[in-house]
Amino acid sequence: MRSFRLFLLFIILCAPLQARAGVFDAQSFTLQNGLQVVVIPNHRAPVATHMVWYRVGAADEAPGQSGVAHFLEHLMFKGSGDLAPGEFSRRVRAMAGQDNAFTSRDYTAYFQSIPVEHLQTVMRMEAQRMRGLYPPLKEVESERQVILEERMQRTENDPQARLAEEMDAALFVNHPYAKPVIGWRQEMEQLTWPQAKAFYDIWYAPNNAILVISGAVDAAQVQQWAQEIYGPLKPEIIPARNWPRVPALEARKTVTLRDDSNRQPMVQIAFRVPGFRQDKKAALALEVLADILGNGPSARLYRHLVSEQKVAVDAGISFRKESWDEGDVTLYAAPANLTPPEQVITALEMELRAIIEQGVSTDEVAQSIKRLQAQAVYARDSLAGPAMIVGQALITGASLEDVETWPQAIAAVTADDVQAAANAYLNPDHMRGRAPVVGLLPEAEGE
Amino acid sequence: MQIAAIRSFAFVLASVLLMIAPAHASEKILDIKTVTSPGGITAWLVEDHNVPVIAVEFGFRGAGTVNDPADKQGLIRLLSNTLDEGAGAMDAQAFQKELADRAISLSFGASRDHFTGALKTLRAEKDKAFELLALALTQPRFDAEAVERMRAANIARIRESLSDPDWIATRLLYASAFSGHAYARNSGGTLSGLAKITPDDLRAAHKTLLGRHALMIGVAGDITAAELAPLLDRVFGAMPVVTPPAAPAETQITGAQDIRVYDKMLPQSAIQVIQPGIKRADPAYAAAEVVNFTLGGSGFGARLMESVREKRGLSYGISSGFLHLDKADGLMISTSTKNANVAQVIDLIRQELRDVSKNPITAQELKNAQTYLTGALPLSLTSTNAIAGLLLSLQEDGLPITALEDRDAKLRALSLQDVNAMAARLLRPDDLRIVVVGQPRDLKNATVVKDLPDVE
Repeated sequence: MRSFRLFLLFIILCAPLQARAGVFDAQSFTLQNGLQVVVIPNHRAPVATHMVWYRVGAADEAPGQSGVAHFLEHLMFKGSGDLAPGEFSRRVRAMAGQDNAFTSRDYTAYFQSIPVEHLQTVMRMEAQRMRGLYPPLKEVESERQVILEERMQRTENDPQARLAEEMDAALFVNHPYAKPVIGWRQEMEQLTWPQAKAFYDIWYAPNNAILVISGAVDAAQVQQWAQEIYGPLKPEIIPARNWPRVPALEARKTVTLRDDSNRQPMVQIAFRVPGFRQDKKAALALEVLADILGNGPSARLYRHLVSEQKVAVDAGISFRKESWDEGDVTLYAAPANLTPPEQVITALEMELRAIIEQGVSTDEVAQSIKRLQAQAVYARDSLAGPAMIVGQALITGASLEDVETWPQAIAAVTADDVQAAANAYLNPDHMRGRAPVVGLLPEAEGE
Repeated sequence: MQIAAIRSFAFVLASVLLMIAPAHASEKILDIKTVTSPGGITAWLVEDHNVPVIAVEFGFRGAGTVNDPADKQGLIRLLSNTLDEGAGAMDAQAFQKELADRAISLSFGASRDHFTGALKTLRAEKDKAFELLALALTQPRFDAEAVERMRAANIARIRESLSDPDWIATRLLYASAFSGHAYARNSGGTLSGLAKITPDDLRAAHKTLLGRHALMIGVAGDITAAELAPLLDRVFGAMPVVTPPAAPAETQITGAQDIRVYDKMLPQSAIQVIQPGIKRADPAYAAAEVVNFTLGGSGFGARLMESVREKRGLSYGISSGFLHLDKADGLMISTSTKNANVAQVIDLIRQELRDVSKNPITAQELKNAQTYLTGALPLSLTSTNAIAGLLLSLQEDGLPITALEDRDAKLRALSLQDVNAMAARLLRPDDLRIVVVGQPRDLKNATVVKDLPDVE
């Protein structure tokens, strides 16, 4: 449940969002070399968050090199420009700042949050490592051990994470999303610097990146600095993403992970659904649907399965909508003591059937829209949060306009839209090439 | 979003609390006011009208999980889970729907020492939000249905945690470091203890522990002092005055090289280390903050991180941090490594702790720590609830309203001699208590533990 909750939080946090002129009143411009720059003014404290997003992630890796996008992300801290290995983060810390980076299926991002007077300095450091990376060999060797430790800590030591990994493999058949972002162990063990370097040379370029700056900054000033610091970087020819598609799948699969020490069973059912880039209208309707079904203790799943039927002790939903290609909607529950997991899966499916057959009420939709719009206001109550939301939306194919006008777009969703989306994409009885994957993490036997 | 791989977790988590702003000597870091209601309830307030959001974080001093009876561990946690499950005329469903429909978030929690609550609302829903909070605090229902549901959720949480090596390590560490003291118990409850708790137990705990005289309140966001004062009375004014429960005795953490191993079939072991710490109120606390930052508090650049991850690739992360309880203080180090490397990593931890006497903290390290510890506070104060949370934590630690400025001044005044004297005083390489969960190889002098205390 812990991991599911975290996931939900991100979904809520990342719902792009509400009305003043726009949610964030961000400004955007593009340099001649193709680098898009977005500035989100926030004068609450004399600080800024500086993020560079690359439109490349684990899904762009060559076969057999899973994990190389993330390995490269680690190596980006191991010597660039005039900075020695490890110096990047130490330098940021010495200016009272924080830095980190993350890799997803679709993108890789690097960020620093700093007192605003150091903004130009971190811009220079980041611009230098967009083209000038040279980690020494011994750093490459030890960092490979670090990513293997990371895989153990985040995946191999956690039964829920292991189940999630294998559910993706079953849901995204023939598609690069079938691979874990961190990589398959046996391929990670063989990753080399030449592979990481080749990946870097192909994809890391100003015309394949978005720069997002939020904080106590002036857009005109940022534009001048961005031009001076990032402007000289040469654009490259970026390959098109020609990912293979998931074929029509009619067989419902059940993925069962038995872990000898697992004491609390968990069940899930995952459906492949369009993201914002594939079908904006459907994605917005699914967003309202996910809220009606899964947003907290008064939503349908918790109310019906946990409070009324008592077949589960927790229930909810996650919707990975901000992805370049199709995402997924996953309903999950923790079965109550002595309730067979299959019965809980059936109860989750009944909730979908109820919506497909009877729809949702206009009241439910209105309340949901109100809640989602409130999330847009809460989203502004942060420094790095808005930069995350805008960066993630833009790098996965949405426009700034989409982000700024999201509250109006979500307000246009109707009860009919919700029912139609459920029928088309979350139908447990009519697969339409989108057969769901059921995930089971049973209680260990003999407990 | 699928951030499946992040470069470093530990640092982000470790840096959430208590860092400070670049203030000129006399300038205020945060404009904190005290607001006292007509009825005599006092809150600390930071007004901030940038975003139409209000956050309230409050605590009842001494009402934490130390009050759990030994055979009903989980009582206070369950109280925190059921307080928002129906109040006044509203049952759990009605109450939760009211919160959800107005996008108000309300939650309660409990640390070992204190019982806490957090409210976040849009300004437009302020009156309703405070009304719902007042209802939860003064007229909770503890309906049998809600109590059963929350009991089941807690039992499931514990059972799920049994798959988490860090959770198991933490459980063992508290059980051994505080053996014989109330702090040794499981603050989240035991399976058998939770099974015994009745709605009447919850009613009694609510009545005897949560009183207005034990209150600590932090408020931040889009609200003025004049607006807040009457609301304080409406929320907390009807609460009773209670006799504070007897506080537990002061206790010392001892280590004496105790290494415990809990065998669990995992590729990687979780390692947690604790040694005696230092009180927040200690006049030399600022020097201790610099020692911790240099040793393992700063993420990249810290001696432990450089030695274990950056030089040798032995772990995804290693960090150190202080544990502050009302009656005990510790310095903790946590990390993980594959089973074959556990002995080496533990040796490296000892070595780094010893090394400070031979390789004292340098002028550069002191400067970096001072810059960060005084400069990074604004980064953690960019959301309304983070500010309210800081106001509460200052009060929990019994610090004055000038605590941020005081700390800033002390950090700036530190000399190399101050911080190295503190390193000699604080660090105990020969007095570590260590817990390993996994299947470590070649680990000498370890005691194998079969049972997890206070879980079943």
